Amino acid sequence: MSAQGDCEFLVKRARELVPQDPYAAKAWLITARTLYPADFNIQYEMYSIERNAERTASAGRLLYDIFVNFPEQPVVWREIAVITAALRNDSQDKHAQFLKGVFETLPGPVQCKMLLKATEQCFNTLEKAEMLLLLLKRFPESVVQHGVSLGESLLEAETVENLDTPVNCFRKLFGSQEVGGLKSPGRGRSQRYVIDGLSEKSSVVTEPWERLLEMVGVVGSLCDWQGEKANRSYSELLQRVSELCRYMSATDSEGFARCCAQIVTCCTLVLFHSAFHYVSAVQPSLFQGHTSLSSCPWVLLEDLSSVYTDVEVERKHTHKKRKLADGREKTMSSDDEDMLAKGRGRHIVVNKAEMPGWAETVEHFRTARESWDLLHSHQSLETEFVKICSAWKTEMWMWFRIFLTDMIIYQGQYRKALSSLALMSSLQLQQNQIQNSLSSSSSLETQRAIIQQASCHYALGEYRMACEKLLEVVSGLMPQNHEAVKSSEEQRKPRGKTRKGNDLRLIPCTSKSILPFCLQLMLACFKLRAFTDNRDDLALGHVIVLLQYDWPQGENLFLKAVDKICQQGSFQYENFFNYVTNIDMLEEFAYLRTTEGGRVQLELLPNQGMLIKHHTVTRGITKGVKEDFRLAMERQVSRCGENLLTVLHRFCINEKIILVQSLP
Amino acid sequence: MSKITSFPSTAEMSDIRHALLRRDPLSAAKEVLYHLDISLGSALQSSTGPTPGLEKSTVELVEEFIFHVPKDRNIQPKRMSCVQELQLLEIMCSYFQEQSKDAIRQIIFSALFSLQGNKADESRMAMLGKLVSMAIAVCRVPILECAATWLQRTHSAWCVRLARVLMDDYCTLVPCAISTLQNICSASPRFCCQLLTAVTALYDFSSDELTPPPALLEMLVGWITEDPRLLLLTFINTPLNSSLPLGCLEITPLLGLLRWCVKAPLAYQRGRKSALTNGHGESEKGTAYEELYSKLHLSVLQVFLMLQVHLTEQNLIGRLAVLPVESVATLVEEVSRLCEKLTPFPAANHIQLALDRLAQALQVAMATGALLCAREDLRTLCSRLPHNNLLQLVMSGPVVQPPPHSGPFQPNMYPHIHPGRPSTLSPHSPHPVLSPHPTHPALSPHRPLTAHAAHPSLSPHAFHPAAMAFPYRPIR
Repeated sequence: MSAQGDCEFLVKRARELVPQDPYAAKAWLITARTLYPADFNIQYEMYSIERNAERTASAGRLLYDIFVNFPEQPVVWREIAVITAALRNDSQDKHAQFLKGVFETLPGPVQCKMLLKATEQCFNTLEKAEMLLLLLKRFPESVVQHGVSLGESLLEAETVENLDTPVNCFRKLFGSQEVGGLKSPGRGRSQRYVIDGLSEKSSVVTEPWERLLEMVGVVGSLCDWQGEKANRSYSELLQRVSELCRYMSATDSEGFARCCAQIVTCCTLVLFHSAFHYVSAVQPSLFQGHTSLSSCPWVLLEDLSSVYTDVEVERKHTHKKRKLADGREKTMSSDDEDMLAKGRGRHIVVNKAEMPGWAETVEHFRTARESWDLLHSHQSLETEFVKICSAWKTEMWMWFRIFLTDMIIYQGQYRKALSSLALMSSLQLQQNQIQNSLSSSSSLETQRAIIQQASCHYALGEYRMACEKLLEVVSGLMPQNHEAVKSSEEQRKPRGKTRKGNDLRLIPCTSKSILPFCLQLMLACFKLRAFTDNRDDLALGHVIVLLQYDWPQGENLFLKAVDKICQQGSFQYENFFNYVTNIDMLEEFAYLRTTEGGRVQLELLPNQGMLIKHHTVTRGITKGVKEDFRLAMERQVSRCGENLLTVLHRFCINEKIILVQSLP
Repeated sequence: MSKITSFPSTAEMSDIRHALLRRDPLSAAKEVLYHLDISLGSALQSSTGPTPGLEKSTVELVEEFIFHVPKDRNIQPKRMSCVQELQLLEIMCSYFQEQSKDAIRQIIFSALFSLQGNKADESRMAMLGKLVSMAIAVCRVPILECAATWLQRTHSAWCVRLARVLMDDYCTLVPCAISTLQNICSASPRFCCQLLTAVTALYDFSSDELTPPPALLEMLVGWITEDPRLLLLTFINTPLNSSLPLGCLEITPLLGLLRWCVKAPLAYQRGRKSALTNGHGESEKGTAYEELYSKLHLSVLQVFLMLQVHLTEQNLIGRLAVLPVESVATLVEEVSRLCEKLTPFPAANHIQLALDRLAQALQVAMATGALLCAREDLRTLCSRLPHNNLLQLVMSGPVVQPPPHSGPFQPNMYPHIHPGRPSTLSPHSPHPVLSPHPTHPALSPHRPLTAHAAHPSLSPHAFHPAAMAFPYRPIR
């Protein structure tokens, strides 16, 4: 006979007796428990009898026992789940009321523990958040401990759950209950933490920002913050705090330490507010579910509108720039390449017609950067801010990473930007794995990161890497109708001419806008190589192909290329007839072969070099070669109507290997 | 003035007596009461030591003029008329009601009603019965409190007699009078606790007549379910070192009630048996009260659990036998005899029910430290009882196995006491178990059970070698 057998016998007897004589059933179980105090089934049966009879006090007492003694029993967890579910909804159902009553009989610490444990069991974030709110409502003193984790779990929901409106329900929950519930005075210190938690959560949200601002006012007065008053805007808040920071750091360190919390809290809020708004303009799909047609992502890139300007002016400048960068890399191993690039006051070019709210977006970007700078202007502020960031796991926030990357790019710290981009792709990869689908928007977002990488590599003078990256992007793009692009390009033409080479540009992340940028970037990469003193026909050929785009913007450069070919007396580019369809260029090349044009030796047909060598041995065939060239030219003229973007797209894809290899 | 502050001399007593002899019986009785009050009261005030004893002459005065025991053969004391007796009872009632000093009240009560082992005792009992009965009727709490003390200090035979008088008055003569008695519980729980013990001693199921009247049973179950702590009240309020006179009532009504619960199924079965032979059906009587006994039995078990908390808190586990083994042995003996008598009849279910209850009570009493008895002794004790599965299990004890949880299991206190109900018992009980809890009882840290070195087998969950050696297990 086993203990197991005994217990089963005892429970069975009790169960048989329940309908006819519940008192006897209980007597059996009491006896059973004194015999086998560690047996779960006996105590659970006791609880079941009381629960089924809806006797609140004794059911509560027994639940307490089994909760304390058998915390690992799944049956107990099911029971607790049922009870906490009853607590969460306001059902007037009699049994639900009874279950609530049972919970109320439990001692406070046990209630708290039970809610926490039940929260751990929740897989659904909304449920989890509701549980935490329940916990906070009942045990406000646990706010400090759990308030942040509530925010965290809500934020987790935002990143994990790919709902159409990811956090709407959580937002409502948090906004309505928490804000109201925690306004009561006297808990200033813990409230500050709550606010921190709230800001983090609200950062994925547009609506409660104003609420948050209100709370800053309330908390400010509770915490005796310097000169804090309600009804400020975020920019006023930043202004106030930066004045405070300047003033305090000028006076005494003790006073500064006192204000540290205020400065960091306010400034962090402003940072998140602005960065959030910037990112929601730049990457709207993050906050609105899948991209709608009207809201495409935008990408911050080097402004290449000066790519068609004369190479001489630019080359000197670029040489200086690269020299400087090399020198620094050796001595300081810093990735700050250029004092200019580092510069304040870089201009961000936006196509105003394409981005209606551009001014606000640029302004948010600026405010966010200023908040960031303020937070990093002082060691103690930075330490405090880093604490908040690590508590909130901001490194896991995709949207914040996007902002940081753009900010670093703006600062011209391209090396740093590249590692930030790498982080971003790994975050993106995680999210894609969670979503388990590569939607069109997410692939565009992936391309967004790659094209920024290309832009950074270019800015660093790493043309080969830049080219590799951009060709990766191009292979994923669909060529559009050329004419449509051209008209939109025309609009920013006058601006492009006046600007120098260190501006940035916000470009919509669509095939239509990205492919032109890629072509310009490639041109920029090859331009320098093509016009060096050394002969590099391949680079020069690529440049000529690329100059076709946006013609006649690149006319000057083309003429410069022609000059160089004339000086060389010969030019070999076997891809010429595959990719050059521009009638002006074709005419120019046809002219070059003539005596007036300078009798330039042109080897533009595939394997023509081989043929010529062969012809010099066997007389009379050169004539055939000439004939071939003429035929090719004629054929090529008939191709002028082809969609140029399709041709250039094909060029990028087919010549990918040669293109990459022809760069250092 | 010295006459008032000190005891009167024998000569003075004699003077008093002669004066009293000339009065009518009622005024003489009143005068004796007055005299008692003056002399005992002042003696109590002047003495700092223990309560002053009663002078023999004073006792004699009381016996002669209140209980009307003739002092010498020549003078037959004048007896009071019924009306006069009623008047005297009224005077006593109001005297005890108005006497504000507990100690004086107590000592006067004892001067009047402590049994002296002489022929006056019958009169005393008669008067006491009437007084207590009257006090119940008009709810005179001070008298009930004194009666409670009397029930504690007096031999159980007398207590049973008092109980019988009260039962006659409130259960038998006027059936609806029981509700008056019912209400007393909230007024004087101490008295009710003692009365409970006394009535369980009175009704021992030895005959149909000594089967608890249904109304009484219902009332008692009502009292106990209302507040089970009632059963422990006397026990908890009695100092551990106080020596109780031999033969007095048990310290708790637990064993008495247990006797009821265990014997009831058998006794009603016996009643049915005799009814069958007599030819008129009485079977309804038994089934109607089965539920009440079941409820009562559960309450008894729950009170054992409460008792465990108290014993643990007082560090008394294993030191104090709340249920004396001898009394339990007597009960087992009675049950075994009853079973033998019933055996030829198809009463298996009733026998099993009785044995189930007995087994449950023994197990829970042992586990909670109320009964100090090793399982080995239990086997000897119960050897003559018919077979019962649970009893076998209890006698052999739990199968010892490695605990399912890591770490030793903490015996789980299960006080069925919940906060929120103001205790009627608290004025007399400063005890933590019985005082209303400001918080949930589970919050108060329970001291773990300490297995006592002197009684290693008493810790209910401790390993017991006998449990392993026991050769047979229940058949099922």
